Amino acid sequence: MRLSPSGSPSHRRPPRAVPALAAILAALSLPAATSAQEQPTLPTLPPHFAITNARIVPVSGPVLENGTVVVRDGVIQAVGRNVRVPADAWVLDGSGLAVYPGLIDPMGTLGHPAPRGGARAGGPAGGGQGGGASSDAEHSWGPEDRPGTFTWLSAADDLDGGDDRIADWRDAGYTTALSTLPRGNVTGSAALINLAGDRGREMVVTPLPLQRVNLDAYREFPGYPASLLGAFAYLKQLHYDADHYDAAWSAYERDPRGRTRPEYDRALEPLRAPVPLLFPAEGRKEILRALETSRAMGSPVIVYGAQQGYEAVDVLKAGGVPVLVDMDWPRPPRNADPADEPTLAQLRAYEHAPTTPARLAEAGVLFAFWTGGLDDPSDARARVKRAVDAGLPAEAALRALTLDPAGILGVSDRVGSIEAGKIANLVLVRGDLLDPDAPIEQVIVDGRRFPVFHPSAVASRSDRDGMRRERREGGEPGEAPDGREEGEARQGRVDASPAPSGPVVPMVRDRGPYRSDAVTLIRNATVMTVANGTVEGGDVLIRDGKIAAVGRGLDAPRGARVVDATGLTVMPGIIDAHSHLAADAINEGSVNSSAMVRIRDVLDPEDVGMYRALAGGVTTINVLHGSANPIGGQNAVLKLRWGADAADLLFEDAPPGIKFALGENVKRDRDPDRYPSTRMGQQDVIRQAFLDAQAYQREWEAYNALSARARRNTTPPRRDLEMEALAEILRGERLVHAHSYRGDEILQLLRTAEEFGVTIATLQHVLEGYKVADEIAAHGAGASTFSDWWAYKMEAYDAIPHNAALMAERGVLVSINSDSGEEIRHLNQEAAKTIKWGGASPEEAIRFITANPARQLGVADQVGTIEVGRDADLAVFEGDPLSVTSRVRQTYVDGHLYFDVDLDGERRAAIEREKAALLEKHRGTRPATTPVTDGVVTPSVTPSNDTNEEVRP
Amino acid sequence: MSRNHAGIGSRAGAVLAALVVATALGAVAPAAAQTIAVRGGTVHSMAGAPYVGTVVVENGRITEAGPSVAVPQGARVIDASGLHVYPGLFDAGTQLGLTEVGAVDVTNDMSELGEYTPHLQARTAVHPSSEHLPVARSNGITHTLTLPRGGRSGGFPGQGSVLSLDGWTVEEMDIAPSSVMVMDWPTIRTGGRPSWMGGGGERSYDEAREEYERSVAELTQWLDAARSYARSVEGGATIPRDLRLEALARVTGGELPVLARVDAERDIRNVIEFAERQGLRLIIAGASEGYRVADLLAAKGIPVILGPTQSMPRGADRGYDEPYANPGILHAAGVTIAFATFNSSDSRTLPYEAATAIPFGLPREAALRAITVAPAQILGLSDRLGTLEPGRLGNIIVTDGDPLEITTQVRHLVVEGREVSTMDRHRELYERYRARPKN
Repeated sequence: MRLSPSGSPSHRRPPRAVPALAAILAALSLPAATSAQEQPTLPTLPPHFAITNARIVPVSGPVLENGTVVVRDGVIQAVGRNVRVPADAWVLDGSGLAVYPGLIDPMGTLGHPAPRGGARAGGPAGGGQGGGASSDAEHSWGPEDRPGTFTWLSAADDLDGGDDRIADWRDAGYTTALSTLPRGNVTGSAALINLAGDRGREMVVTPLPLQRVNLDAYREFPGYPASLLGAFAYLKQLHYDADHYDAAWSAYERDPRGRTRPEYDRALEPLRAPVPLLFPAEGRKEILRALETSRAMGSPVIVYGAQQGYEAVDVLKAGGVPVLVDMDWPRPPRNADPADEPTLAQLRAYEHAPTTPARLAEAGVLFAFWTGGLDDPSDARARVKRAVDAGLPAEAALRALTLDPAGILGVSDRVGSIEAGKIANLVLVRGDLLDPDAPIEQVIVDGRRFPVFHPSAVASRSDRDGMRRERREGGEPGEAPDGREEGEARQGRVDASPAPSGPVVPMVRDRGPYRSDAVTLIRNATVMTVANGTVEGGDVLIRDGKIAAVGRGLDAPRGARVVDATGLTVMPGIIDAHSHLAADAINEGSVNSSAMVRIRDVLDPEDVGMYRALAGGVTTINVLHGSANPIGGQNAVLKLRWGADAADLLFEDAPPGIKFALGENVKRDRDPDRYPSTRMGQQDVIRQAFLDAQAYQREWEAYNALSARARRNTTPPRRDLEMEALAEILRGERLVHAHSYRGDEILQLLRTAEEFGVTIATLQHVLEGYKVADEIAAHGAGASTFSDWWAYKMEAYDAIPHNAALMAERGVLVSINSDSGEEIRHLNQEAAKTIKWGGASPEEAIRFITANPARQLGVADQVGTIEVGRDADLAVFEGDPLSVTSRVRQTYVDGHLYFDVDLDGERRAAIEREKAALLEKHRGTRPATTPVTDGVVTPSVTPSNDTNEEVRP
Repeated sequence: MSRNHAGIGSRAGAVLAALVVATALGAVAPAAAQTIAVRGGTVHSMAGAPYVGTVVVENGRITEAGPSVAVPQGARVIDASGLHVYPGLFDAGTQLGLTEVGAVDVTNDMSELGEYTPHLQARTAVHPSSEHLPVARSNGITHTLTLPRGGRSGGFPGQGSVLSLDGWTVEEMDIAPSSVMVMDWPTIRTGGRPSWMGGGGERSYDEAREEYERSVAELTQWLDAARSYARSVEGGATIPRDLRLEALARVTGGELPVLARVDAERDIRNVIEFAERQGLRLIIAGASEGYRVADLLAAKGIPVILGPTQSMPRGADRGYDEPYANPGILHAAGVTIAFATFNSSDSRTLPYEAATAIPFGLPREAALRAITVAPAQILGLSDRLGTLEPGRLGNIIVTDGDPLEITTQVRHLVVEGREVSTMDRHRELYERYRARPKN
């Protein structure tokens, strides 16, 4: 029963007939009139009205006490203290009320509710938009299949006004939201919607060309990409494909005559020009990845999530990246096992996530609050309050709910503040909006008003929460807060427990070098130079990260730190040519060649395994892709600069490499079948890949050979990241590290490579290498093997611990590797086994874990020996490193002290203290004891027992 | 990593079985019992200070050992001059003989179906010509406790057997066919990932604890039933013979200790409490958080079979040396410790599991005892194993150095009083391919 803007008799009725707002509100509060499930109604406002005598908080300007807002046809006509109320406008007396711009939720899926009974695994359910893949979606065999790519879909289409979350959000003060489609790697373009209207077309403020990216869609869509590795490689390939597509079509459209018509691709059409991306990222490593990926894609980026943004303020500031901060601050799960002690990283997230907004504001990084994982948006203001309590100025908090999201989304010309000309989206609050207890009285969207049901009048807040939760949990499976799994919500993310109070627990330094001296003199040690024998009573001088001198009786330069190493042995830092540490994904096994994926895209600089490897004297590792496919992904050679960002872990001049794999891991049954399933097929895949790469090279060579003029009229070949990597192998620019076991498969690989003039850099594992050692030596491949593992599978049944020594004896360049986060902790012992089995000399055994792997990785000019000019990567052992009873005392990388057995103890004590303080603060909900079971007392392992002051393990 | 995920079809298994039978590399024929004198070596008897002397073995047993023992007439002499003589090493928990190729299911006999099969004995399935046996033996492991394995949801998967690692048949290998009752102690598992991987499980703690309680109740019921069964049988009741309860009655009657593989502090505490209530003799295996309950273990006199030392700390925030320091802390507290690999193909690395703890606080002597004497004591076999004293089984190794050091070589092996070759599958392959004519 809406009043028409003109012509209706009532339009001319004098305004005094309108019931006073206060009276209406009073009526609303009568419990008898309503039930929990029913929204009361108010007479519809006419299109022309004014709110008077209110405290106006425009956000874009100073607060106006006793101000007036005039609205006409859904648009703010005037704001001010002395605004004359037009005679024909209805008047709402706003005495005692504050008027704020409607809140904006800059991310989410409002208008695209989960399908009823949605049985989809993981994450928010799709919008039933059509085109969205389902569990029976086609298996993707590569980027060309455009897996999980719905760029052509628009969230503005098929909006569901019946999404019952819309009313919840509006009740919480939200008038506007960014609606995104939830499903896929790239989900489609977003839409800014107002939270009023029954039909989508009424709600859409504007479609926005923003495309939402998900990095976990690989879990849902079968085939490539099947890992985080593939997810990043796919996004980049998608960008190159779009570029190529645009070039091909542009050329064709310029002059179609005589040209072959390019194929139409709906997924690439919207990407012909760069589009801004909404990119998920929680903490520092993810934020850095988001920035790097978006840069590679040539797209502006908005980061969403960012709860651990406090770790990356500098990065966000430098990148000029706007951030949508998920306000659903992490909390300990309810009903967790009391013996499951949270990690320091988890505890820090509980403690510091709410400080992210303050830190961003302080640094001048543009950010907005996103309701994120909140199930119940009425909690939003409480979450914002935590950020304010953590230091965020109230004014900044308000902007981050209104004008800043509008600015980030580029719509501040129409929403986000109370200014004449903007859309009439308003919130009327009895009190301060940022006070979670101040009731929101009315919400006005597009000039239409919506009263807010006040449960406080009929039921306690907790009752209401209970009802709401019941409704969500009982009735509508699959309806989970955005980006979270339903189970997670059930396990306590909807818990409204009060925030822990008390001062913020400061973070101790738990990563990074212990010392960074410009000049260090290690004195009077047994120095195993590996290059020039062993020097008893020797000194090593380190200057600016390099070895400056090796000898006896060196003088300590002024200011040098002198380390007395009497009784200790200094050897080159150990190098592991086969590791899987520090990577968040290992295998992209969906396809038989995943040459396009890169370990460097998924490095995890927080993997404590690196520190533990340092404690075993290791300084360089080769992080390899797994062995799921004949041609795997690109490896990353790292220096163990514990505490550095991913990019700074990379060994600067290490040649690029790639993993190949043969044998049982590749052959294994898969669903659906994936070629090959025999060693015959493995050879075929590798040979065909090389042939394809040759063709690719020829195509580019032909293009590059064109005259500049001819090139202008020719569409360049498609850039193919897989083929690029393979072509680099053919050109000898990319080292092949080939997982292999049996002698026969080793031989076949060598011969296949030789057909293409390729030399295999290393055979990895190579457990039967001793059977074909002469052939390996003749080919020139290195061999990187374990010391003594055998019999864990059929192809390891002929493995012998004499393998390394025997291969070396036959002229093969041999290294001992770990392939294990455990084994890497004692590679010195593994090397010693080659002395026992096969009779390697002690010098040779040390070479197996230093100079030889350095040569295999192409970094022998920098590391692997103790020589003047080499990197100061050193391991200091208490005694002979080849003795099982010797342990590491210190480890240096680039001259920085990254491990020290004594300082380790100090750091650990500091970590324990921080943890104890955090546990004290955050473990509130933990049960103190567990009950008696069947006569058995189950003792509670409380965290306070975990600090071992007497015993230090 | 590959070996964790190796899967292979049964077809390959069949091929393997044929291959094992056909090649039988390293299966050197065990010799008949004889009189052997190990002469002139430094004897580390583990029952006193080392001495240069002679150890004599007759009919499988040590008859004499000392600095001035004469070589009996007709004895086969092993010249140990300049070498060291030790008791054979004891891997106090393995699957030796029960598995050949991990990824090939048909070659595995560790785990039977069902949680309650207490009447099964590991030795029944031991394959005397498994290639793993000579591989372990050639590095000085002369006997082991081989164990059936269950899950960790509660149950009695069977009895562990102590065997010598040489014999034509398992009967020739038997030392104690029924040495321990393995008890799978249930743990409260909320499922999903462990906490150091970010946590997050499929079940709430309440659900997990309920399942745990059910499992504990089930264990209790089986033990109660065994007691009732034993009473009935003793009382002369004619009831059908129940092999399961008969086996468990040996546990409730105190004849057989239970061996429980538990690592977490809570599990250790729980299983101790349970064993006490049930009146069971308890041996704890694993115990990677043993250091947290060292005093309790010492006070209760509960022995621990540790292993492996070369493993990862139990959480992201734990010290890098948590597993390395654990044995030393337990030893210092007065707990009797032994080491085990809990493996088959890796059994030969047993001495290094012990030695790794030395720079982190375990005395060298204690490390050696923990792979010789201590396991014998823990398993109630110290009158037969663990030292070079008259009456002990003739399981002797002769080395060129400290067996705890990797570079030490085992030169001679005596098992059950027979001199046994140090040849194994690996050395055979090595020698065969080393002899391959150069290309």
